[in-house]
Amino acid sequence: MSFAQFSLNNAWLIPMLPFIGFLLIVTFFKRMEKTASTTAIIFSAMSLALALGVVAAIAQRPELIEEPFVRSFRWFSMPGLEISMGMMVDTVAAVMLFVVTLVATMVMIYSTGYMHGDPGYTRFFAYLCLFASSMLGLVIATNLLQMFVFWELVGLCSYLLIGYYYFKDSAREAAKKAFMTTRIGDFGLLLGIVVLQLNLGTLEFTELAEKLPAFAAAKPALLTLIGTLIFIGPIGKSGQFPLHVWLPDAMEGPSPVSALIHAATMVVAGVYLVARLFTLFHVSPEAQHLVAYIGGFTAFFAASIALTQREMKRILAYSTVSQLGYMMMALGVGSLTASMFHLMTHAFFKALMFLAAGSALHALHGTADIFEMGGLRKKMPWTAAFMVIGMLAIAGIPPFAGFWSKDEILLMTKLHGFTDLYILASLTAFMTAFYMSRMVFVAFFGPENPKNHPHESPASMLFPMSVLAVLAVVGGLVGTPWTEHGFGYWVRFGEYHHPEADWTVMGGSVVLAVAGIALAWAIYGAKVIDAEKLKQRTGFLHTLSFRKFFIDEIYQWFNEKIVTGAGKMLYWVDLHIVDGLIDGMAYITGKFGEQLRLTQTGQLQHYALVLVGAIVLLVLLMGIVGADSAMALMGGGR
Amino acid sequence: MLKEYLAISMFFIVALLIPVAVIFISRLVAPKKTTPEKEEVYECGVDTVGDTWIRFKTSYFLYALVFVVFDVETVFLYPWAVQFQQLGTFAFVEMFIFIAILVVGFWYAWKEGALEWK
Amino acid sequence: MNFSLLSSEMLAAGLGTGLLILGLIAPKTENRRGFGYITAFGLLAVLVATFFQYGINQSTFHELWIVDDYSVFMKQVFIVAAILVVLSAVDFVETLPRFRGEFFALIVYALLGMMVMASANDLITIYVGLELMTITFFVLVAYQLGDGRSSEAGIKYLILGSVSSAVLLYGMSILYGLTGTTTIPEMLTKLTWSPILVVAIVMLIGGFGFKISLVPFHMWSPDIYEGAPTPITAFLAVASKAAGFAVMVRVFLLGLPLEGAVDWMLLISLLAGITMVIGNVVAIPQTNIKRMLAYSSVAQAGYMIAGLMSMDAPGVKGILFYSMIYVVANVGAFTVATLVRRALDTDTIADYAGLGQRQPLLASTLTICLLSLAGIPPLSGFVGKFYIFQAVMDKGILWPAFVGFVMSMISVYYYLNVALYMWRDDPKDDRPVPVPGPAKLVIVLSLVVTVVLGVYPGPLGELATMAAKSLF
Repeated sequence: MSFAQFSLNNAWLIPMLPFIGFLLIVTFFKRMEKTASTTAIIFSAMSLALALGVVAAIAQRPELIEEPFVRSFRWFSMPGLEISMGMMVDTVAAVMLFVVTLVATMVMIYSTGYMHGDPGYTRFFAYLCLFASSMLGLVIATNLLQMFVFWELVGLCSYLLIGYYYFKDSAREAAKKAFMTTRIGDFGLLLGIVVLQLNLGTLEFTELAEKLPAFAAAKPALLTLIGTLIFIGPIGKSGQFPLHVWLPDAMEGPSPVSALIHAATMVVAGVYLVARLFTLFHVSPEAQHLVAYIGGFTAFFAASIALTQREMKRILAYSTVSQLGYMMMALGVGSLTASMFHLMTHAFFKALMFLAAGSALHALHGTADIFEMGGLRKKMPWTAAFMVIGMLAIAGIPPFAGFWSKDEILLMTKLHGFTDLYILASLTAFMTAFYMSRMVFVAFFGPENPKNHPHESPASMLFPMSVLAVLAVVGGLVGTPWTEHGFGYWVRFGEYHHPEADWTVMGGSVVLAVAGIALAWAIYGAKVIDAEKLKQRTGFLHTLSFRKFFIDEIYQWFNEKIVTGAGKMLYWVDLHIVDGLIDGMAYITGKFGEQLRLTQTGQLQHYALVLVGAIVLLVLLMGIVGADSAMALMGGGR
Repeated sequence: MLKEYLAISMFFIVALLIPVAVIFISRLVAPKKTTPEKEEVYECGVDTVGDTWIRFKTSYFLYALVFVVFDVETVFLYPWAVQFQQLGTFAFVEMFIFIAILVVGFWYAWKEGALEWK
Repeated sequence: MNFSLLSSEMLAAGLGTGLLILGLIAPKTENRRGFGYITAFGLLAVLVATFFQYGINQSTFHELWIVDDYSVFMKQVFIVAAILVVLSAVDFVETLPRFRGEFFALIVYALLGMMVMASANDLITIYVGLELMTITFFVLVAYQLGDGRSSEAGIKYLILGSVSSAVLLYGMSILYGLTGTTTIPEMLTKLTWSPILVVAIVMLIGGFGFKISLVPFHMWSPDIYEGAPTPITAFLAVASKAAGFAVMVRVFLLGLPLEGAVDWMLLISLLAGITMVIGNVVAIPQTNIKRMLAYSSVAQAGYMIAGLMSMDAPGVKGILFYSMIYVVANVGAFTVATLVRRALDTDTIADYAGLGQRQPLLASTLTICLLSLAGIPPLSGFVGKFYIFQAVMDKGILWPAFVGFVMSMISVYYYLNVALYMWRDDPKDDRPVPVPGPAKLVIVLSLVVTVVLGVYPGPLGELATMAAKSLF
């Protein structure tokens, strides 16, 4: 059996290995820093090897595109519900496995440098392993319940890692915010799962795919409801409007965490869930349109916020929200291919940018404002180069990876007749190019800030960045319109259509990207246009963008006035009425118990008396109660 | 039929009533002058000495138990011996297993000193 | 006659007798640790042997003896309990002044009695097994020579046990008088309503109820549990109770008709409800951990007997599954109590203060086991309760589930009370609490099994389903 075949048959090992790593670290290597990080890296590298094996195995067996490879065993069963646990590998899952294991491994290598000397070093690696394991378990889930379990687990890991610097107030607040905001989404998702189970009697993806078309024909309205409820989960997890507020705050966590969890992997879990349930959204057009428009709006909305932000990781966070919106939109317009393609390339270049940002922050000891960085290019040539590569990729300059996937999304949006979304997405592309190049020009190209003493990062941090940089450059070539049997052949839903290159779309997006970069250069590089004046001119719009459309303030107000008010009232009710009731009941129960305890005299005669007395009493009772059944019997009533 | 029973039951009732009446009447007419001697338990004319609640030696109990073991053995051996010819080898082996188990028990009792009067 | 059906009982009897002989041969001065390991391995062999009896479903000796999947599952419950108890007792036995080797032999004989009960298909065979078990327990309860409380418990158990046996025997003899048979399936066809049958059934419930400590026949259990040596308490609480359930389910479901006879279900449901309430409520003010566990086991009997109300395979499956996880969780808790008793010479809950700092393994095992008994998901106790109450609810009877739910909420209070002492408070002194090897094995096993069966109950659940189906 070849390695590829072995990997496919034992794909469950992929999430298992990091979990073993996690157990080893928490049980044995708690105080051995080097051993702990090496263990983590070795185990995730083995997962990466297996994931590559899975990809190779799928490349040998094209039939897996249509028929997923499923192995499962029964987890538990009860009348009317059977839940299995297992693994399901198809091309979509294979892409995810590859992306997650790759980014996880790179981030772990990077962290050996970045987290060096941190007091919670081993804890950090333990969390990373646990996260990788849960995320991979989510990827190969065979049914919605298994997926939900892992979905919650990654949420937990995210919570732990955002609050990693638990001694900082802001980190604790951010962790809490992230957890609670995503909980809202999870609740919707859980409701959706329950309704789905009640109506279809199964949660297995393969069985759902068979049953859904008939169900869609019978009860379209109910299916729309289910789709909407389920989509609330991805809205929370993937930071879609209006539950996107937690993601920028989540940047309180260490930069490698932002790269791994809040850019490349966990946040795309929502996209992945929608992709997994593509059969459902495919037969429910209303729900699918909801996905498309939420996605499109989020993309545009988040990009417009990113225009004016000043903190480097915050800009990247909003850009992540925006790009996730792109992926959702692609799914919404009906293209699984484009969405997954963008998911992959985005993981490459966004992880790269976060790592580069982490490198810069590491060098500057926490100066977050890009306007205070200034001219890092000279002292940190490699980091600057990586950041530029990432910028070009996300802006959509050919032949970088982001260009091909973004082009695919724009093309699909146009082809499927969503002209409004196409225009919105193109504008977003322009804004993306603008704010990304703004960040690069301000932070890396301006005059040096004499207050800073940056230095280039160690090789352990540069190596993973270079790997991701190479992929950010060439990673898109697997899916160009000219590639035979490219990405779209392998990852698709339904029949394979080889997309024709659309020169207007392609040219349009390039022109917009170049225009965005040029504008940024004019303002922040060459300073032809005065930034301050522009700010005053646009006045209200600038404030709106800078303050993130006051969404946080609105939520804050809602929280303080309404939720807290209601909370106070309920607290009063709870304190005086419910609590009193419970306390009273507890008191009575306790007293009752103490009285009954007195019946336990320790006297043998008593016990024997109770025993025999009880028998007599029960006979009497049965005699009285049983009398009518006896009468009925003797009177022949029955 | 019932009449005969009636006669018998009448007889029973009268028989019961007479001793009850005798005891009751003697109680009524007898003089009551109690002295400590009169309150004593009547035991063959001799005063009782010490507590009637005394401890036995547990060895009695052990002897009794060992006796029961052999008693049971005999109960099984008798019919087996009578029907021995018809029962065949199987029953023969079976009885030996039974006796072996008893012997283990007896061995144990012996070794633990159940048969020694200390 | 098919003697292969008796193979596991023969093995157990051989093991017990062999241990006795070994004790006679071995020098008196030598320690008896080896006996414990021999017993454990021997029982493990018997456990393995029982697996080959699945799927036989035959009876022999003129239907007096039956080997169906139900009886095999029950035997496995007893054997698992015995193995765990033996291992946890190895070090305890060394502290006994006399009769150390016989301790293990007696446990095996008690186990033999339980196994006979599980396979008995006839009232007399049931009684013989029951007495073998009960009389052995009289001895075991009073095993701690020189400890007044142990002797007191032994005498109390002897007298009350005899009373209950007498009651049971009376009930059985009435049944024989009514039907002219003692075989359970034959009784089913011959019983019709009569006032004397009411008496008989109440007496059966009284006799069996004593064994499973059903309120109001539970009065003995706290006193005897407290006085008996802790490993024996564990064995008494889990195996003896499970054996009581084994026969009770068989006699009531297969031997006593409901239609046209006495409505015993009414009685069972009434007692189940009372037991759930009383057991949990009285457990609250207890300050001694063994008494607390005694009342908790009374309450658990209430949950289990509720499974009988569904009168079908899912309900019995619930009882079977619950017995197994009940055994594991309770033995875990009692083993911790044994170790603490040995190290600190106390059973008072308040003296468990700071156990979390002294021995985190013990404290976490006790916490997990107690939470499992309380039925907190995702521990196995929750799954067991879920199976039982779901089966009953499927029959449209909702109140047991409601009472059970409320009462398990109450039970959380007194279970967590122990956890509170262990984790919140500081130890009162710095005496160490040593955990010897075999006891550690028991503790880790019970911890792991309690958690694993909660998360992944599948295989055991299916085994229990198969066993339950063999009854119907």
